[in-house]
Amino acid sequence: MIAGDRNPWPALGRVFLALSYVFLFLPLVLLVVFSFQANRFPGLPLQGWTLAWYEKMIDQGTLLPALGHSMLVSPAAATVGTIIGFFAAYALNRFDFPGKTVLLGIIALPILIPPLILGVAFLGLLARVHLNGTLFSIFLTHVVLVTAPALSVIQLRLSQMPRQIEEAAWDLGATELQTLMRVVLPFAVPGILGGWLLAFTFSFDEFIIAWFVSGFDQTLPVAIYSILVASMEPTLNAIGAIVFAISALVLIGIEVLLLPLLFRKDTEEA
Amino acid sequence: MTAAAAGDAAIGAPARARRMRTPNDSPLKILCLAPIVIWYAIFFGLPLVFLLWIGFWRVENYQSIPDVSLQNYQEIFQNWVVKSRYGLAMLQSFWVASTTAAIATVLSFLIALALVFAVPARRQRLALLFVIAPFWSSYVLRLYSWQTILSKNGVLNSMLKAVGLDDWRLEIIYTQIATRVGLVHFLTPVLVVILYVTVINIDRTLIEAARELGASRWQAFTRVILPLSRFGLITAASFALIMGLGDALSGALLGGGAGASVLGKYPLYSAMLMTDYASSTNLPRTSALATILVVAMVAMMALGVWVAERARRRVSE
Amino acid sequence: MTEASDQPDLELLSVTKRFKGFTAVDEVSLKVRRGEFVAIMGPSGCGKTTLLRILAGLETMTTGQLRIRGRDVSDVPVNLRSTRLVWQNYALFPHLDVFENIAFGLTLKPHDKAVVSGRVKAMADLVGMRDFLDRRIGQLSGGQKQRVALARALVTEPEILLLDEPLSALDAHLRLRMQGELRRIQQALGVTFIYVTHNQIEAFSMADRVVVMNAGRIEQVDTPERIYTFPKTHFVARFVGANNLFEGRVSAVDERHTAVACGHGTVTVTNRGATPAVGETVTVVVQADRMRRAAAGGPGENTVPVTLKGREFAGSQNIYLFDGLDGTEIKLVAQESMGSAAVMAVNASMTVHFSPEDASIIGYAGPAAAPAADAPAQAPAAVSAPPVQAPPPVQAPTPEPAGAAP
Repeated sequence: MIAGDRNPWPALGRVFLALSYVFLFLPLVLLVVFSFQANRFPGLPLQGWTLAWYEKMIDQGTLLPALGHSMLVSPAAATVGTIIGFFAAYALNRFDFPGKTVLLGIIALPILIPPLILGVAFLGLLARVHLNGTLFSIFLTHVVLVTAPALSVIQLRLSQMPRQIEEAAWDLGATELQTLMRVVLPFAVPGILGGWLLAFTFSFDEFIIAWFVSGFDQTLPVAIYSILVASMEPTLNAIGAIVFAISALVLIGIEVLLLPLLFRKDTEEA
Repeated sequence: MTAAAAGDAAIGAPARARRMRTPNDSPLKILCLAPIVIWYAIFFGLPLVFLLWIGFWRVENYQSIPDVSLQNYQEIFQNWVVKSRYGLAMLQSFWVASTTAAIATVLSFLIALALVFAVPARRQRLALLFVIAPFWSSYVLRLYSWQTILSKNGVLNSMLKAVGLDDWRLEIIYTQIATRVGLVHFLTPVLVVILYVTVINIDRTLIEAARELGASRWQAFTRVILPLSRFGLITAASFALIMGLGDALSGALLGGGAGASVLGKYPLYSAMLMTDYASSTNLPRTSALATILVVAMVAMMALGVWVAERARRRVSE
Repeated sequence: MTEASDQPDLELLSVTKRFKGFTAVDEVSLKVRRGEFVAIMGPSGCGKTTLLRILAGLETMTTGQLRIRGRDVSDVPVNLRSTRLVWQNYALFPHLDVFENIAFGLTLKPHDKAVVSGRVKAMADLVGMRDFLDRRIGQLSGGQKQRVALARALVTEPEILLLDEPLSALDAHLRLRMQGELRRIQQALGVTFIYVTHNQIEAFSMADRVVVMNAGRIEQVDTPERIYTFPKTHFVARFVGANNLFEGRVSAVDERHTAVACGHGTVTVTNRGATPAVGETVTVVVQADRMRRAAAGGPGENTVPVTLKGREFAGSQNIYLFDGLDGTEIKLVAQESMGSAAVMAVNASMTVHFSPEDASIIGYAGPAAAPAADAPAQAPAAVSAPPVQAPPPVQAPTPEPAGAAP
């Protein structure tokens, strides 16, 4: 900035940033490392590499079925939430109507209300209609939770769509439905995929609602918690490594496929 | 064209205006909003109504019976400071959540500042992505990993032992300090995003102008960056506070249920609510407890808004 | 220009659009012949784009009526209208290639692929995009996008093509080329063009008739030549070209000239048709490039004493800015190279001159009265554009003592 004035802050900032990364990644890295270590309790000294915990996890019998449940519930909830979110995002992007701000606020509420409270509330309703304790009930409640994040990503994409593109389609003779399917939907595809991935993550990691609502068909976070309160088990490291791998895939998918599309300045616009 | 024809057209106009649809007046408006409104009404609005209502039910012989009784609330407030000590748990929750929010906000603000000012612009997005990455991994698993790190013979303490610093053993597992560690780790990625967006949008020429006018770096920070980040900081802190109050997991797994803090060995309200339901399956009482938490949070937010408003008015006067 | 049929292709009857708090389009009436190229010109916010969107069906009217080839289309929604709009930013579909963009309007109903393909290719030929049919939209230049947008609209065989500042995003050179192209395509197809622009060069060089709009109202509808030479209202005089306006009161009228007493003396103006009455308040309009800077005026010329306030060199042109005796701002454009321009001090006193032939009078209760009164009335006259009035034979007007002010 000023000649001869040495600025120590950028260097300090980078050191601080490095320490922050250590803090943020420490639990993730250690969890994966100790999933391959023979130690009964994670700690030093390391006792050698092994796949024993993975074998034990496969034999153990609750974690893998729980992963299966999660891989059933989360994609389903993400898909329904994304479909609902797409149509709502389209309407919110295009139309004006009284109470729009209030509606936007209500749509965001499920992410702002602590999931603990939602969990108790969902249980109250579902127990009343005898739907509690099933995977289906988790699906129903997770859709509420994941719709808002999916919607916000899709809305971000739709807000990049010049209004004239839709008008051009009408002007050329397309009906509103034709315009929606042939112009708006293709334009929104990156947002829809991004919204789906975000929705999937929200549902896949969600613990407390699933804890209240699920019965014997536990999702993965609930199953992990059940084991965790009983004892510390390195089989958790093994399942954790698998779950982190899934999350990393989602994250790479978002970074490589979607962020460039989502944040690209549209060259098509004048 | 004659004046009469113009008049005719003008007279015929209002009826026509009603017949032609404007782009804002389309059946799609209703059709596209219907799914979200219906789903929210049934699976979001209705459960919240049930939450309120079930709080007034009775429990007899382990059966919930629809009623309008204050039995649950009486029971809770009778045990406010004795026996189950719900009130002390509430106090513990507010203490832990507010200190956590402060720590997490400061930490995240420093990370955001470092990202904006110490990382070259081309690498910033990647650097930010790495900060956000932990958010995408399972929260329960991260807490489990922190357990293995912080526990008495865990990774940290065994490392200290290995280098001969046995006297420096960390004894924080199953205290509210460990609870805060888990919460801060959970909150940081989200708060960094909020604060990064805030800081990156500060016009760099303002900082240069301040420096040009003779401000030191510290003055440029306190007089320009900090005031312009105020809204983002308030947003981040409020978000952290709400999340901290509502979170049950870190308190249960790292705080060990009733972890110690300077206030004493009390559980967090939300963790207590969870164990209370797990042991009793008394849904009416749990609903009442949840309702009280909602009311307390709304009251706190209202108080926050009121204080902020008063402070703002005093400044503007 | 194609032959005028007695039925107008497009007819606007008192079209009005009110938004909350202001009127964007105010009682606009206009008739357009088939195959005519009409430019709607005005400053931003004058309502020209709103009017175009009303024609397209993207905006509703508050009152009024809209007829295309005699049919009342006021209630016809946008996708059923026979008009097509070309946008300023092209509004091409980014996810489709050039062929798919042009074909879009033809593929909305059950269609024969071979027929569509043939028509798309023929239209691509006409706009010169035949070799680019499989390009993505992002790979096109601005001019190419403009051609695709034009082809996409024209391939559906609209009765009327609406263009919303289609050239404003192009650079100057390309804009000039596209002006010629647009005119060629319009004449080849014989489609009525309604062309909205704020650029008077575009309007004047392409249009058969120009509509000047201001504050939602039509100020003047006429051929480019007549609008330029004989603006009818203050607004048009100020908006079009570079005109000098002298406010004054009519002091004398004879069969050849009208004398107007202005702040700096009396000026004479050659009569054209009706004349104002003595005593009326009027405005004399003189184009800046008809003013001459000289020590003395020619015989019969008006002389205006001025002080120099500034000068701009614009290559082959010099623009002088003066103040009149009463403070009126006076502009003079001289075709002289930079070097030949005389060096003069600011605030130097001098005289400028203009011929009575080159001046016109506006703002009196005659044929070119206030726009509010004549906007609907001028429409029928405009249907068949009157030929440009031949300039009166050049002759030295009788010198009037009052005209040659000291």
